[in-house]
Amino acid sequence: MSMQAVNKLNFMVGGPAGTGVATMGLLFAKCLQRSGLEVYGTNDYPSLIKGGHNTYMVAASTEPITGIVGKFDILIALDKTTIERHLHELSEGAAVIYDSNKVKDAESLAQGKNLVFLGAPLTKMAAEAGGEIMFNTVALGASMGLLSLDFGIIENMLNKIWARKGKKVADANIAAAKAGYDFSKSALKSPFKIRVEFVKREKTMFINGNEAAVLGAIKAGCKFVAEYPMSPSSSILHLMAGHERDFGIIVKQTEDEIAAANMIAAAGFAGVRSMTATSGGGFSLMVEALGMMGIMEVPCVIFESQRCGPSTGLPTYTEQADLLFALHASQGEFPRVVIAPGDPVECYVEAFNAFNLAEKVQTPVIVLLDKFLSETSITVDDFRKIPLKVDRGKLMSDLEMEKASGFKRHAYSPDGISPRCLPGQKNGMYVCSSYEHDETGYTSEDPHVRVAMIDKRARKLSSIPQEMIAPTFFGAEESQAQLLLVCWGSTKMPALQALRLLEAEGVKIRMMHIKYASPFPAQDVLRALQSARDVAIFEGNSQAQMRSLIRQQTGFYIKKAYLRYDGRPFMPEEIAEQVKKFLQV
Amino acid sequence: MVSIADLNNTNWVQWCPGCGDFGILIALKGALVKLGIEPHQTVVVSGIGCAGKLPHYIRTYGFEGIHGRVLPAASAINMANDRLTVVGVGGDGDGYGIGMGHFIHAMRRNYDIAYIVHNNEIYGLTTGQTSPTTKKGVKTKSTPHGNIETEVNPIMLALASGATFVARGYSGDIPHLTSLIAEGIAHRGFALIDVLQPCVTWRKDLPYELYQKMVYKLEKEGHDPSSFEAAIKKAQETERWPIGVFYKTQKPIYTDDIPFIKEEPLVKHDISNVDISKFIEEFM
Repeated sequence: MSMQAVNKLNFMVGGPAGTGVATMGLLFAKCLQRSGLEVYGTNDYPSLIKGGHNTYMVAASTEPITGIVGKFDILIALDKTTIERHLHELSEGAAVIYDSNKVKDAESLAQGKNLVFLGAPLTKMAAEAGGEIMFNTVALGASMGLLSLDFGIIENMLNKIWARKGKKVADANIAAAKAGYDFSKSALKSPFKIRVEFVKREKTMFINGNEAAVLGAIKAGCKFVAEYPMSPSSSILHLMAGHERDFGIIVKQTEDEIAAANMIAAAGFAGVRSMTATSGGGFSLMVEALGMMGIMEVPCVIFESQRCGPSTGLPTYTEQADLLFALHASQGEFPRVVIAPGDPVECYVEAFNAFNLAEKVQTPVIVLLDKFLSETSITVDDFRKIPLKVDRGKLMSDLEMEKASGFKRHAYSPDGISPRCLPGQKNGMYVCSSYEHDETGYTSEDPHVRVAMIDKRARKLSSIPQEMIAPTFFGAEESQAQLLLVCWGSTKMPALQALRLLEAEGVKIRMMHIKYASPFPAQDVLRALQSARDVAIFEGNSQAQMRSLIRQQTGFYIKKAYLRYDGRPFMPEEIAEQVKKFLQV
Repeated sequence: MVSIADLNNTNWVQWCPGCGDFGILIALKGALVKLGIEPHQTVVVSGIGCAGKLPHYIRTYGFEGIHGRVLPAASAINMANDRLTVVGVGGDGDGYGIGMGHFIHAMRRNYDIAYIVHNNEIYGLTTGQTSPTTKKGVKTKSTPHGNIETEVNPIMLALASGATFVARGYSGDIPHLTSLIAEGIAHRGFALIDVLQPCVTWRKDLPYELYQKMVYKLEKEGHDPSSFEAAIKKAQETERWPIGVFYKTQKPIYTDDIPFIKEEPLVKHDISNVDISKFIEEFM
């Protein structure tokens, strides 16, 4: 056996839905994260509850990592199909862990590949540890044994995860993991090609986009969530509901998305920070209410986790095809904020910003996520280190309203933003109306009032600082870069990883990541595009929607575009290869 | 002391002369005065339609949303600040047509809101099409050969959906309607007040005279509103049109099971610096 590699590996667990594939993958990832590594974890699954083929993939390294590069070093196969499907993705000397009672002729599947087959009677071992259901914990233990990971880390992890179910359950899981751990230690003829060594560092978090968005929303003081379940946004509902009593948040599962959108509008009017989460289909149902929020000037936040459309589409697969829809949804013209965070840290920060902006600008804010971002986890520093401050904008206090007279809720103002009172406050009575209205809120069809109101509302977006909406730049300096790679939203993650690959090869690429689609940072974007030697855009849709938006906002047309719309996220190597091709054109 | 004058404003009322909506507006003001509820503590929520314009004609807080969505909005205001008095108003098209789904769910959840439906058996503001409560055979602009659908029975629906206060009023009998609305607002839980309301423009076949002849008061004929069975029976009566309280019961309201708003309504919670440390540690 050649030298063991340390702290760099790719891992995959695969099996039918309902066998705990995602849980195992997550546990594996968290054990490595707790060993001090940088970890990236993502999943792939069809829209069904039992059967089918699910995978969870993990990449770990000591360097920052936002995508999977190369082949898999460990495969836990919970069925034979998993081995057959992923054989070609396995690296030289990779280990395959499987249930020897379920897959009899595993080694015959190798097709001459040099692999380490670790067949263990997983189910039987689990039964001995306390229950057959823990067969996946046995497999997880076996993968950890391969890597000679400190068993204490696994033990702590399982204790934490199973604490809610009591000591007995936790102990049984630890016993199951230990059985698997010991099995691979004894079954290996020579040490596995990779081992994990503990790296001492400050505690990190391992978190996905939806989870980070929920944390940001709660930190921002969100008090009311109205949501109808829809993949891939439902975990936001689950997380919020799970913590409703910890933070005093009313979490309402509504009869439909129409109710959800109207509820958050009314809750915003009543003075609580409110949100909903959905995907494109649900957002379609919210569209009428979105315009209402705009004309009413009520603060609301809508998280829209995009999946493949149109209609039901590919429910559990990713796409970035709702950008123009989010920007244009609803009849008429009104200001809206549309933010597309690129990774879990940005999900946290932008979720927080969304609630501040909704109240400061008094208009709906849409946060565009997608299935890939919603369910992909990365290692991040403690969010508590990020300074964030709640700002409620021009909200009147009870005391101020007691002294008020002739208060006009929609008063014209230089920045378009009017002082806002809440029901229950004295002297503020007005009708918050979906009709066009005058400064008092009373219905008006007067042409002058109409123009004044349209203009007043439109002005509001200008008060959002340019620094907040500015695109972010990565990679080579402008003067050095051979090409400016443009992307938005979740494409940030694989694109950053591609940048690392290209940098290692000496290819100098600068990346511009656009986060705010509205208000659009036109000046910054145009300046970067004009200064670049060459430009290419990467988007997860078939029509290059961000390219259209850039052209609309700046007049600049990006000739080179690489688009992926097969439901799968970009892979870092794919982006790197394409960048090199673009450089040759 | 709250007086009618406190609830009046100078906004131009856009209803047709003689519209049944006037009676409902007067009754609502009377009910709020009777209960002594401060105008700034009241939110009148509406959707779209002739009835939807009502919030502009009463000096309280108002939320005039979109067609059919009165109840999601009203219930959210109730959850956000359960110290406010929330009254939903809307028409039969708004509540029993486009908003039907919300109607049933709001009743089973027993939000503490009152819901007044201006039931004139026609779409007024869209100039006279059939509504879910238009009787079979009636000719309207959208049913020129006579309506071929069976109408919705809102009282039966409310009873079946778990509403805890189910009443029907008549906009031509303002004192009676005033006390019904007052009782509905005071009721702890979801109160439906379906109001027979003549549309003098589009339903000339349903004039005040006919209503005067057909309606009778449940309480005068010894109806027991605590009996669900009696209510079901009365709800199906068509020979004459009963008005009054069909059914009234007490059940826990939606917000009873939300412990963290007992001391302070949601809107008063301090959000200036929420401590999320424990939650963050779950991801470590």
